[in-house]
Amino acid sequence: MPMPRPIDSTLHGATDYSVGTLLMTAFPKLAGVEGTPAAKQIRAAGAIHASYSTLTDYPLGVVKVIPYKAHLAIDALGALALAATPFVTGQWKKGRSQWLPHVGLCLFELSSLLMSDPTQKGDFHGDVDAVRRANMEDPGRKIHSGPRAVQPAAA
Amino acid sequence: MRATVWSGRNTVQVENVPDPKILEERDAIVRISSTAICGSDLHLYDGYVPTMKRGDILGHEFMGEVVEVGRRVDNLKVGDRVVVPFPIACGDCWMCKHELWSLCENSNPNAGLAEKMFGHPTCGIFGYSHLTGGYAGGQAEYARVPFADVGPIKIEDDLDDEKVLFLSDIFPTGYMGAEFCDISGGESIAVFGAGPVGQFAIASAVLLGAEQVIAIDQYGYRLEMARNRAGATDVIDFSQDADIVEQLKVLTGGRGPDAVIDAVGLEAAHGHGALHAADRMKQASRSETDRGHALRDAILACRPGGIVSIIGVYGGLMDKFPTGALMNKGLTIRTGQCHVHRYLKPLYEHVREGRIDPSFVVTHRLGLDMAPDAYETFKHKQDECVKVVLKP
Repeated sequence: MPMPRPIDSTLHGATDYSVGTLLMTAFPKLAGVEGTPAAKQIRAAGAIHASYSTLTDYPLGVVKVIPYKAHLAIDALGALALAATPFVTGQWKKGRSQWLPHVGLCLFELSSLLMSDPTQKGDFHGDVDAVRRANMEDPGRKIHSGPRAVQPAAA
Repeated sequence: MRATVWSGRNTVQVENVPDPKILEERDAIVRISSTAICGSDLHLYDGYVPTMKRGDILGHEFMGEVVEVGRRVDNLKVGDRVVVPFPIACGDCWMCKHELWSLCENSNPNAGLAEKMFGHPTCGIFGYSHLTGGYAGGQAEYARVPFADVGPIKIEDDLDDEKVLFLSDIFPTGYMGAEFCDISGGESIAVFGAGPVGQFAIASAVLLGAEQVIAIDQYGYRLEMARNRAGATDVIDFSQDADIVEQLKVLTGGRGPDAVIDAVGLEAAHGHGALHAADRMKQASRSETDRGHALRDAILACRPGGIVSIIGVYGGLMDKFPTGALMNKGLTIRTGQCHVHRYLKPLYEHVREGRIDPSFVVTHRLGLDMAPDAYETFKHKQDECVKVVLKP
């Protein structure tokens, strides 16, 4: 049985903007890292995330130049990069608060990605093949090749 | 009997439930031969209409054979083939006497709920939440039809079910939307939404004599049906260019359409990212009930002095409603749940005379047990789905 992916592209977009905004604003203070390099890194991550969200080809994108699947790939790379940052800079040695938020955010992002439907079909959980097999109509014929179904008033 | 029941957000199931019984002297029991999934059923499916309960039987578009009648139903007899209008109307109150059937004052036993939301009660509706009476719907093998001496129309010829079934809702609803536009010949009409109701609004505008009918949607196959089958003269695919207002100006010599029909309703999609994001989040958090992209654009696009006809279903409250454009352009708004009873006979006559074949919208005809997959396919616009008819 395939893993359920209940997050459609619209909900994913809503999460992008709301989490991005949270990271840029209150999150560093809530995580107790205000005034440290970690705060700057987290704010930068939020800003970058919200920025490429506006450029993504999904319902909440503004200028739709980045394909949705590419957006998901950037999400994954960004999450891993954020988690790696404290270990690359060496700030992890200054205490747990300097690396735990990064790793936590990375895990949140990856779990959100696991639940996101990359096909943009959203939370579709029907069996369209069964519908196709059982259908007593031919949608293609009805849409594309049938005659006009209405007579204009003047006819 | 088997029936399609609401089992929570995004879930319907086909279950065994008790058969309906005659409860009042004006009831009839109908064995259903065909029933359809309506676009407005998706508002229930998506969880945006309050007062749904698990186990509620869905469906307000159905027809079939009368198998039992109450003592005071003297216009129908067992064996009659009937189409049942979705509004339940008593025929006796002030509203019914004035042909405002969907505003019947007597058919909604939960009128108090509707009064709280809307200021006045609205009629009962089959299978459409407890706000509209909690009546069992018609996506089932049988249905109880209250006030059966008033509502159902007898089908006295051998027309296929699919040609007359939509007299129950979407054909009269689309027709009323076009009629609101005061079409006398030569007008330009824009129709937001090329779903089933939109298709009938387009076809009705053509039938009434509009010269230019512009269909607006984001799904190419629906726009193709609008052009090939329903008679649209122009189409706008807003997935390609989200500026619908500007495109309508271009198509109408800069003035805007004479009338605009909103056949979308409270779950409008749109290409304007930031506005859509704000609406989607507010609706998801239940801080507004209605996403209004289509209606906002309809008001902005309509020519000054024109008519905005609203037949898409709205449920409660909408943000960013352009009252300034509405007032300063002198627009007329006409709207309402369709007074189906008013249109049954004239539209049946159009079908019988061959002026319209309503079966053109049916892309899926399935057994009742396929209802859960059919809802998903319809909701997610899979397999070029426009309209699903279920056969119990």
